[in-house]
Amino acid sequence: MVPSTYDGVAAMLALLVLLTEFAMLRAPLLRSQVRLYAFQSLVVTGLATYVAASKHIDELYVLAALSLVLKVVIVPSLILRLLRDADTDLAGSSVLGVASAILIALVVAAFGFFAVGSLHVSSSSLPTSSLAIACAIVLVAFVLIILRSDVVSQAIGFFSLENGVSVASLVVASGLPLIVDIAFLFDLLVAVVVFGVIMRVHHARNATLSTSDFDRLKG
Amino acid sequence: MSTLVIVLVCLPFATAMITWLAPVKLSQYLTMFVAVATFAMALGLLPRTSNEIVTAGSLLRVDALSQVFLLAVTFLYMTTSFFARGYLALGEGANARRYGRRFYAGFNLFCWTLIVVPLVNGLALLWVAIEITTVISALLVAIDDTEGASEAAWKYVLLASLGLGIALFATIMMYYAGTRLHGASYSLSYSTLLSGASHYDPKVVRFAFVLAVLGYGTKMGLFPVHTWLPDAHSEAPTPVSALLSGALLAVSFYAILRFFQIAFLSLGPSFPRNVLLVFGVATLLLAALYLLSQRDMKRLLAYSSVEHMGILAIGMSFSATIAVVGVLLQVLAHAAAKGTAFFGVGSVVRKFGTKDMTKIRGGIGALPWSGPMLVLAVLALSAMPPFGIFRSEFDIVYGGLSQPRDVIVAIFVVLVIVAFFGLSWFTTETMLSADPSSSQISGEAIVVEKGEVSNWIVLSMFVGLVALLILGVHPPAPLVHLLDRAAAELRGGR
Amino acid sequence: MNSVIVSPYGVQAIQVLTILLGAPLVSGVIAHAEGRLQGRRGPRILQPYYDIAKFFTKETIVTNESSWVFLAGPIVAFACYLTVPLLIPVLTTFPLPLGFSGDILGGGFILALAGFSVALSGAESGAPYAQLGSSRAMTFGALIEPTILFVIFAVALITHTDLPYALSATIRSSTSQMVRPSHVLAAVAFFLVVLVDTGRIPIETHSGTLEFGMIDEARTLEHSGPPLALLKWGSTMKQLILYTILINVFLAPWGLAATGKWSSVLLAVAALLGKAMALGLVFAVIDNLFSKLRLFKITEFIASAFLLAVLSVLVFYVGGG
Repeated sequence: MVPSTYDGVAAMLALLVLLTEFAMLRAPLLRSQVRLYAFQSLVVTGLATYVAASKHIDELYVLAALSLVLKVVIVPSLILRLLRDADTDLAGSSVLGVASAILIALVVAAFGFFAVGSLHVSSSSLPTSSLAIACAIVLVAFVLIILRSDVVSQAIGFFSLENGVSVASLVVASGLPLIVDIAFLFDLLVAVVVFGVIMRVHHARNATLSTSDFDRLKG
Repeated sequence: MSTLVIVLVCLPFATAMITWLAPVKLSQYLTMFVAVATFAMALGLLPRTSNEIVTAGSLLRVDALSQVFLLAVTFLYMTTSFFARGYLALGEGANARRYGRRFYAGFNLFCWTLIVVPLVNGLALLWVAIEITTVISALLVAIDDTEGASEAAWKYVLLASLGLGIALFATIMMYYAGTRLHGASYSLSYSTLLSGASHYDPKVVRFAFVLAVLGYGTKMGLFPVHTWLPDAHSEAPTPVSALLSGALLAVSFYAILRFFQIAFLSLGPSFPRNVLLVFGVATLLLAALYLLSQRDMKRLLAYSSVEHMGILAIGMSFSATIAVVGVLLQVLAHAAAKGTAFFGVGSVVRKFGTKDMTKIRGGIGALPWSGPMLVLAVLALSAMPPFGIFRSEFDIVYGGLSQPRDVIVAIFVVLVIVAFFGLSWFTTETMLSADPSSSQISGEAIVVEKGEVSNWIVLSMFVGLVALLILGVHPPAPLVHLLDRAAAELRGGR
Repeated sequence: MNSVIVSPYGVQAIQVLTILLGAPLVSGVIAHAEGRLQGRRGPRILQPYYDIAKFFTKETIVTNESSWVFLAGPIVAFACYLTVPLLIPVLTTFPLPLGFSGDILGGGFILALAGFSVALSGAESGAPYAQLGSSRAMTFGALIEPTILFVIFAVALITHTDLPYALSATIRSSTSQMVRPSHVLAAVAFFLVVLVDTGRIPIETHSGTLEFGMIDEARTLEHSGPPLALLKWGSTMKQLILYTILINVFLAPWGLAATGKWSSVLLAVAALLGKAMALGLVFAVIDNLFSKLRLFKITEFIASAFLLAVLSVLVFYVGGG
């Protein structure tokens, strides 16, 4: 069964989000990671616009505009400002080499694909591949958070996980009431502020963005 | 009645705003007053909600299940506000004033979000409310600005946010499950979902339920994703620890129960129960073992919370109604008992200046009132009669035996006993051992003078213990009625 | 004359001749464009022909220690490059008689044999740089192999065959095939494979003279005279063959001859060379935009190509797409 052009394009955009996630796994510089996040959010915005245009859901335009402002501009610039203030660390540290990290993430992503695939949801309205890709994005974000040991990468990992969930919501729940979508976005903003505050507290106290000394509390 | 619900939602929020601006002294009394008022209002709602569903607009909805958690949260709000009055030794100076202002604003805001969680109508709003509890409590965990606090706060906010990301995924999948029946655009309100749940695609609901248990389970402290919990509980200021443990974990459990309700109608009883059983047993096992090897007093209580969350999950996996009633009673009793225990520990920590249990000796001697009450609270946590947790765990075990699931019940009882051993061992060591000043073990122990830290602490603990006694000896009839109705709601009734 | 039908075998021969004679031209265009992009005037477009012609007139020098393998390698490789155009859709949309004598795997094997014989020949020279080049070429060749396999899997899944003609026809059939995620991913993965196999930036500086960074180029350092001419010519042919596969199987399988008429076949030749030059320009731009990766970073590059190829297969399995 050949997917329709609509599904194909939607899946391609979702895949682009996934590939950006992989690129984040690869990017050594924190700055480039933030930029990749901005790009990823831009693709998600593009996906929202595309869904809005082809399914004629006008509310999604509002959502796309909001997420453009919030996730492409505000959040990255907030984090970049934090990075400018904390000029101690340019690059985060990764536990594994890039090639091994990508292979692990690939295995994890494959798991996500087959987890969704095993649902056997064969409905005409559901682009299964996009949903599977969303699931893979979430899982790769987990890998990113686990393998990186600095607060910026981990925070970016969380934000990009949220992007993955956005992709899922766009492809399976595009009719979600606008108020709910906005609530989700607003929540993200609050979370970003809190992440930022705690990152600053951490940096002010330890003069580093690394999480390698997060081993005092055990047991 | 719906006005009462609206007032419940608005009042703590307004208080938070006022305490941000007002002087600390005023904030303290205002908070206590509002907290008592909120608890009274929650009690006032009880007669109505145990018979019918109270709604206010399309956004707020209180049924018996919400009412149970509302009671737990507001009760803890009240007792913790007493405790905080005694616990915070705010000196003079700009720093102390700033700390006090931040603390009280954050405290009231946190309680506000905790109250909102059971009141909102619908899975989407539920997610939003729980996300807000996370961000505010993360700031409260970090408020002490120590190295440990920033580490704990980071772990907490990261893990909890990840969990909530998964929970959002679960919410979206649940939404998708309903689109075939309710159309592409509908509100995720409980009544819509519950009315349609039996027609949803079981595969999608199953996926959503597992994701929800994993996601909200992170905040609840279920086994593989509980790791933030002991850190956050031990590093947060003690009033916040009490709220985290007694109320935050409970409302996260509430979120899981909402998914459980839908999954129950859609998938039948066995799948959701088995999922909860697996998580519950693993959680209980882990907590029981960790309880045996703690040095830090607050970590000890944190693992005890993990243990109780495991018990709740196991209790939900039993099919007998009495087990479900037991679970709901346990939510209430745990809130009271864990709050009281944290208050007692707070008193000890203030007195001895450390959380390290190897250094604390002769607690009862040093603290004539809060010492013995701490011992009683720990006994209550270990399910000793005549306190509430004894009754609730008895109900759960009874429900398990009547099913019958003897093996699970046997494992359950053994693990609870192990946990009891861990808890009581350390408490007897620190509280009941001889006074260091009068004996030979004074090598490492800290010698302190006899006397209470604050009478407010004693008051808060006393209220908690009275509640535990009432729940244990003779739960009032309206409450029993409420629990029965809530249990019926969880088993497919509406 | 325009309506004269060429026999299928004739078209087949023209395919080989197109690759054989067109390849140096494409290389010349790329080299010229690169020069322009770098602000130089660049070599003449026909320079590769002059080079090859000149090498044929030079004498061949062989070390005393080298065996016949040293001289046989270039010939075998050249023969391989002459064989592959028989199997792939170079000019026509319809399959030619010999097109079924080997599938996409067969073509891959023949290309691998060519690479292997060149590497063997280089190693046989005994010179350290040539041996270094041979061993590096084989190492990265082995690393890129799984990616190629997954691309082939993806192609096979999409078309249910492993014939290049079939994929070419499938892509032409509709736009939904064109935007199909698994196809796009496989195409991009194959694009990266072509980058690796033709020895372009970011893998190696193909026109450089720094032996440490060389991979493919280093293998031929010890050859001279006609064997060197065959190697140079062969490498341009390999490049055009890979371009042809990329263009006619994955990216833009348009402009092919639908019938055996002279006019359409000639048009197809022009179209192929035009498309190949356009693609070559893309590679030239990439050459200018990126810098060469450190040798140990090449695995990362290959890992990303592998990632794309695997995702392509996964997406197919889950979403049919």
